[in-house]
Amino acid sequence: MKIEDVVCTFCGCLCDDLVVEVEGDMVVNVENGCTLANKKFMGNNRLKTPIKRDGGNWKKVGLDEAIQTAAGILLDADRPLLYGWSGTHGEAQTIGVHMAELLGAVIDNTSTVCHGPSIMAIQEVGHPGCTLGQVKNRADVIVYWGANPIEAHPRHMSRYTTYADGFFLKEAFRERKVIVVDIRKTETANIADEFIMVEPGADYALLSALRAIVRGKGDVLPRTVAGVEKEQLIRVADICMSAKFGAMFFGLGLTMSRGKYKNIRNAIELTEELNRHTKFTISPMRGHWNVYGSNEVFTWITGYPFAVDFARGIAFYNPGETTSVDILKRGECDACLVVGSDPGAHFPGDCCRHLADIPTIQIDPHVNATTHLSRLQIPVAVTGIDAEGTAYRMDGVPIRTRKVIDTTYPSDSEVLDKIYQIIRKET
Amino acid sequence: MRFLLNTGRTITQGSNVEHKNSEAYREEASTCRMNPVDMMELDIEERAPIVVRSAHGEIVMQAIPDAGQARGEVFVCLGPYANHIVSPETHCTGMPDFKATVVDIEPTTEGVWPVWKLMESVGGCRYED
Ligand code: SF4
Repeated sequence: MKIEDVVCTFCGCLCDDLVVEVEGDMVVNVENGCTLANKKFMGNNRLKTPIKRDGGNWKKVGLDEAIQTAAGILLDADRPLLYGWSGTHGEAQTIGVHMAELLGAVIDNTSTVCHGPSIMAIQEVGHPGCTLGQVKNRADVIVYWGANPIEAHPRHMSRYTTYADGFFLKEAFRERKVIVVDIRKTETANIADEFIMVEPGADYALLSALRAIVRGKGDVLPRTVAGVEKEQLIRVADICMSAKFGAMFFGLGLTMSRGKYKNIRNAIELTEELNRHTKFTISPMRGHWNVYGSNEVFTWITGYPFAVDFARGIAFYNPGETTSVDILKRGECDACLVVGSDPGAHFPGDCCRHLADIPTIQIDPHVNATTHLSRLQIPVAVTGIDAEGTAYRMDGVPIRTRKVIDTTYPSDSEVLDKIYQIIRKET
Repeated sequence: MRFLLNTGRTITQGSNVEHKNSEAYREEASTCRMNPVDMMELDIEERAPIVVRSAHGEIVMQAIPDAGQARGEVFVCLGPYANHIVSPETHCTGMPDFKATVVDIEPTTEGVWPVWKLMESVGGCRYED
């Protein structure tokens, strides 16, 4: 059976035009998806049953025992950390936040190690963004700054930018100019009209230089800034100012580099300067398919987008203190629940050491690096394949993901709700 | 020789992200892309093992040449190998310096560890599929 308009739950593009062919409880073919989508939908290496570690031995356990164990660990903890949430649907994220409130826990999502700094900058100076539909139909200048969509968001360019014809751009590839700023010549840089190779950690200086040019103060600049010739900067500023509609997309090359959220603030302020001349927008390239959703859900319930600490009985947010890496670095949490993410692979080694020291529970369909650090793992259905739920695309548009096959795995929401009900009774 | 370690996504890493115990994931996540001239200076052959050392530990990877890489800089896809030696310091932002770890690189005869061994080295316990 062929199912149309299936949503890909891999990256923040959340492409909703996949055609998936299923036979029984197997996906046998995927059309329209990129390599990442094909691998995701056709993957067949799920963890089969819940597993629990007793000292140095793993054993299979039933779902009820796993849920009781998970609830017990969280109830026993003084300072539990509930981490992850970008690889699950909004309904499960909601249960997570309510659970954190009952437990007096810290709840944090993966934006803490991706676009957390972008959110901090947006909290300072706002977000002149737009939907991807606007970009597709109107933008004649695209800037990718510290982002490599060919590797990380493979269909971003074909659906929304370089190769996507739009209402006002009938021949996008010829009519759109693409500017790429990076510290290395990536695949994306290879197809740019202008590639700016910036020195590592010098994005802030480069953004400031462009702001100066756009402001008409270019004469104060030296011959080169951050390893880039002034002539090129003037050329790029001209391209941006003469755009009918410009769209800047930035990635972790800005959020993770020296300056962190100040880089993003400067990029937003450059966008503001450009709006004195033309229409320009700026948006983060969100990585996980529903990381944006985790920020939305956390914010509408607690007022804060990530790193929310309920230890005081009220929601408290202070990046650098209530963020997961800092909590783990200080060895502060005494239990951790990981949902839909893999800190074992994506946190610094010293943080992994603490995750191995404390009872760590993982709710995830697959064996990953965190599995080896955990005491318990509960496999669940994959949202978008055998579970459905709400997700937010990288531009903040909510999209309902679909279930294309039936399996016996419970969804994230079902497992979390069972744990939540036990905690509610005991607190 | 001193380098700046940068990390980021690759399509091969993304394709194998749900197969972290696989050989393909190990291979990609432990591959260090270096400027060919730097490799020549250090006398490192393509795919030869190297030890990458930071103030936070060391890890064995394999080197491959990448002309898009500036001299003095190396790139490893994000994952447990690169992160093993990244500092947890966040400068009060919550975000570690995933893209700017100062490392020393030299050839070695050691082999690359599988992911489970890396996790065991920080106190974990191997689970086999
Ligand atoms: S670009 Fe992203 S959302 Fe679209 S098909 Fe590829 S992985 Fe899926």
